[in-house]
Amino acid sequence: MRIVVADCTVDYEGRLTAHLPRATRLVMVKADGCVAVHADGGAYKPLNWMNAPNHLIEEEGRWIVTNTKGERLVIEFHEIHFETSMELGEDPGLRKDGVELELQRLVAEAPEVLGDGMTLVRREYPTPIGPVDLLCRDAAGGTVAVEIKRRGEIDGVEQLARYLEFLSRDDRLAPIRGIFAAQEVKPQARVLAAERGIEWRELDYDALRGADSAALRLF
Amino acid sequence: MRIRAERDDLADVLARAGRAVGTRSPLPILQGILVEVVGSKLTVTGTDNEVTVQTYLDVEAMEEGRTVIPAKLAAEAVRKLPAGAVSMTAADGEVEITGNGPRFRLREMNVDDFPSVTDGFPAETVDVDGLELTKAIGQVGVAASSDEARPTLTGVLFEATDEGLRLVATDSYRLAVRDVPGVSTSGTRLVPYRALRELARTVGDGKMTVGLGEREAVFATGRGRLSARIIDAAFPNYRQLLPESYPNRVVVNKEELLEAVGRAALVAEDHIPVRLNLHDGGIGLSVIRQEVGEETEHIAADYQGEEMTIAFNTRYLTDGVSAVADEEVTIETSDPLKPGLLKGANTDEFRYLLMPVRL
Repeated sequence: MRIVVADCTVDYEGRLTAHLPRATRLVMVKADGCVAVHADGGAYKPLNWMNAPNHLIEEEGRWIVTNTKGERLVIEFHEIHFETSMELGEDPGLRKDGVELELQRLVAEAPEVLGDGMTLVRREYPTPIGPVDLLCRDAAGGTVAVEIKRRGEIDGVEQLARYLEFLSRDDRLAPIRGIFAAQEVKPQARVLAAERGIEWRELDYDALRGADSAALRLF
Repeated sequence: MRIRAERDDLADVLARAGRAVGTRSPLPILQGILVEVVGSKLTVTGTDNEVTVQTYLDVEAMEEGRTVIPAKLAAEAVRKLPAGAVSMTAADGEVEITGNGPRFRLREMNVDDFPSVTDGFPAETVDVDGLELTKAIGQVGVAASSDEARPTLTGVLFEATDEGLRLVATDSYRLAVRDVPGVSTSGTRLVPYRALRELARTVGDGKMTVGLGEREAVFATGRGRLSARIIDAAFPNYRQLLPESYPNRVVVNKEELLEAVGRAALVAEDHIPVRLNLHDGGIGLSVIRQEVGEETEHIAADYQGEEMTIAFNTRYLTDGVSAVADEEVTIETSDPLKPGLLKGANTDEFRYLLMPVRL
């Protein structure tokens, strides 16, 4: 990771033309070659950036970053205040928080909370774009892909829709449907799920934990 | 449409119909209530497409008509006007609500988008005492599940018996049965409890006409009409769950037991059970939560049977004891791992079967 804090102007040409006038900014060059220009605000989105793969040419007081799509990012350095590089090493990746992982475990142990007769095939069923949380079979023998979130928002529905798209290409799994399960499913997520033909369920974490205890059932 | 009515009466019919309006419906029109005036009769309709409530009011009608307005906003607007006469006028895409000075102008919703609502009845109907029916529904309703993943368990079974009507609900942890003698119906129907629990607050509890059709259950009084879509699913075979007899039986004062379980519940979390040690002379209650502490006490009661300890979920136990109408409650048991039966000491009309928790 290379970090530069500098007074700079930035010009981008590509899908559109953008100009950042002179100001103090943070410029990052990551180990994979991604270049990002940040202002002193906002949590995640750079003012301008160039994804890898790209080609970085360092000239005196100027960086020129280009890629095969014909995009060009030119950073003019007027004054460099700080510069450093360090090896961050391999990142373990984003881990799901404890509640979400626990929800997945609890639902895997009691898949009938998703519907009568539901049984678990396996957790973390792989797809080419990442594993879907649970793969189940319903009472009729149909395959059910289940994505579990703590808060059910539209990005989670989109994620499940993408998994379903890949899983549906596997004839062994057809017919397949999706269930989006969360402690709370937001109204927009419900609408999007209906639009995508995906069912949704709200999970009662406390009840699931209770069901996990010594509670006995009548049937 | 142009009407005038007393504020409290108008606020009441709007609010009662609004109880069927879902707060999370994806269809914007279902956030509205249909307000219709024919002759001097005002009918307000709210629906979420599964439960529909219509309420009625005689008003001073200057002009007939129909409009759809946002349910919550309209009801609150009328309620917050000064006391006295309120007028409501729909014209040019807006509904004006005024009374003693303040004036609301609400945008009309598209009346053509509102779902068509029939006001007919199934072929067979029966007149019942609404108060008795809503009380009976309340008794069994505590055992109905709210888990939409198992729709069968979210309903109350209406079953015709030789003696009358039987209501049954279960969430698989407990089962509540209430017989309503003298009410003659036919067949069985599974009616969503989330609709039934609104009965008293929407159409009231006076003389009630009940129709249980193939697709719809209808409950109507002079104050309104509630209809609900029948749950099309097979109810569990509950009869096989009700044992013929129990070897152990304790009779205890209902209020004393409720208060004791209430104290135990302070220490217990929902999934930590209260232990009942049943012995000659009464019940020893105890709850132990490792990281918090414990509570113990003794209730004098008449117990017949062998000494045993059985544990129940505090909330489920409280629900069952509360639902018993008698002053004294009977708890019958056979084994710490088999269901116990709660009922009134002097009546069998209500029975509450409760699964214990393994210690």
